[in-house]
Amino acid sequence: MRRAAPGALVLLLLARVASAASALPDALARGEAVLRAAGGCTCHTDYPGEKAAAPPLAGGRALETPFGVYYSTNLTPDRETGLGAWSEEDFVRAMTEGVAPDGSHYFPVFPYPSFASMTRQDLSDLWAWLRARPAVRRERRAPEAFAPFRLRIGVAGWKLLNFSPRPFAPDPERSAAWNRGAYLVNGPAHCGECHTPRTLTGGLDRSRWLAGSRDGPEGELAPNITPDRRTGIGDWSAVDLAWYLETGIKPDGDDTQGLMAEVIEHGFAHLPDSDRDAIATYLLSLPPIEHELKKKP
Amino acid sequence: MSSRKLAALFVLAFVAPALVADRALAAEDQVYVEYRQKVMSGVGADMGAISDILKHGLPFTAAIALHANRLEDAATLIPTAFEKPVSAGATDAKPEIWQKPDEFKQAIANFASAADALEDAADDGDAAAIQAAFKELGSACGSCHKPFRKPKEESYKNQ
Repeated sequence: MRRAAPGALVLLLLARVASAASALPDALARGEAVLRAAGGCTCHTDYPGEKAAAPPLAGGRALETPFGVYYSTNLTPDRETGLGAWSEEDFVRAMTEGVAPDGSHYFPVFPYPSFASMTRQDLSDLWAWLRARPAVRRERRAPEAFAPFRLRIGVAGWKLLNFSPRPFAPDPERSAAWNRGAYLVNGPAHCGECHTPRTLTGGLDRSRWLAGSRDGPEGELAPNITPDRRTGIGDWSAVDLAWYLETGIKPDGDDTQGLMAEVIEHGFAHLPDSDRDAIATYLLSLPPIEHELKKKP
Repeated sequence: MSSRKLAALFVLAFVAPALVADRALAAEDQVYVEYRQKVMSGVGADMGAISDILKHGLPFTAAIALHANRLEDAATLIPTAFEKPVSAGATDAKPEIWQKPDEFKQAIANFASAADALEDAADDGDAAAIQAAFKELGSACGSCHKPFRKPKEESYKNQ
């Protein structure tokens, strides 16, 4: 037994090395799937006007919000301007707590209130995938916002009011597809960050969850995606919705514009059919909320 | 004559006819807007019909070719429909259509060739190729709408 032990140990070590080597490509493939579920993280790619050759995920994109203009961060592994010096724990903390490695708070234009419900597995896989990107040097830009909204210290107060992170809790009464859809919509896909109106303090208005907003990012109107027949997507079927998330073509034959077109092209179009079906199942099961997005006269 | 009466006379003589003429012009323009909206609705109807065939897997592959052919024809109607530069009122047409006529024409030509490619794919009958060509056609809609159609938040329908 004693003599056998070193040999067994070597075998065990070899087995571990082999499984680590084969686990990495798996993690990368899963990580890419997480990125797609997050809509391709296109806010972190700066398309100058038309889709020119912008370095993917190197940040610097201007995101107009009612509180000012914020610039997205560099997600590539560049040591100075990107995430090159980060550990996986740093990444998980940023995504789930909205806190940078130096302890400062992120502005909630970074949708960590949604990402906070992502599983550790998904976060680890996404991190593995991001680590494998080519490093791109791109300096960060400070926000151009009014005083209270450009000071990170203010975010601490914002978090007290508006940030209550909780991990995703599946509903055992519902189907696996519904639960998958709920996880995707409210977690990685962060639909509510644009499609939910915000309160005066910039928190998401939970009473009108996914009922649409005129103040979406980049000044865009994000439609009501609850199944209200008149003001939402109540006249869409689950097939319509899954097809839309794949192709960007609406039931009336119109195409998609703005940020959502990018989210589909770089994100949802690459999801497995089962994920798009799950999102459709979940969204169409929500309580319809009547919420008109026309301008108030 | 009091200055008030003078002012009233001025309004009657100059401003009122201008307003009436303006309104008449707007009404005349609206007729053009309505025509081009009908042309574009026709495009949307064929796109929506192809979409229905594909997303529900209807056994109408030959019909896809006919719809695509109609879209290629509709592309020849679009330049005429947008000849008159009207971008005010109940329309989502952006003035860029008439500021960048060559780019507008090119975008329509791209749409026509994407429709032609879908027709070819439908004639061949390969499902994956049809789906890919349909996505390309959708992108062709988008790459013309992006520079030349007002986005949702600016659309007259959402004001």
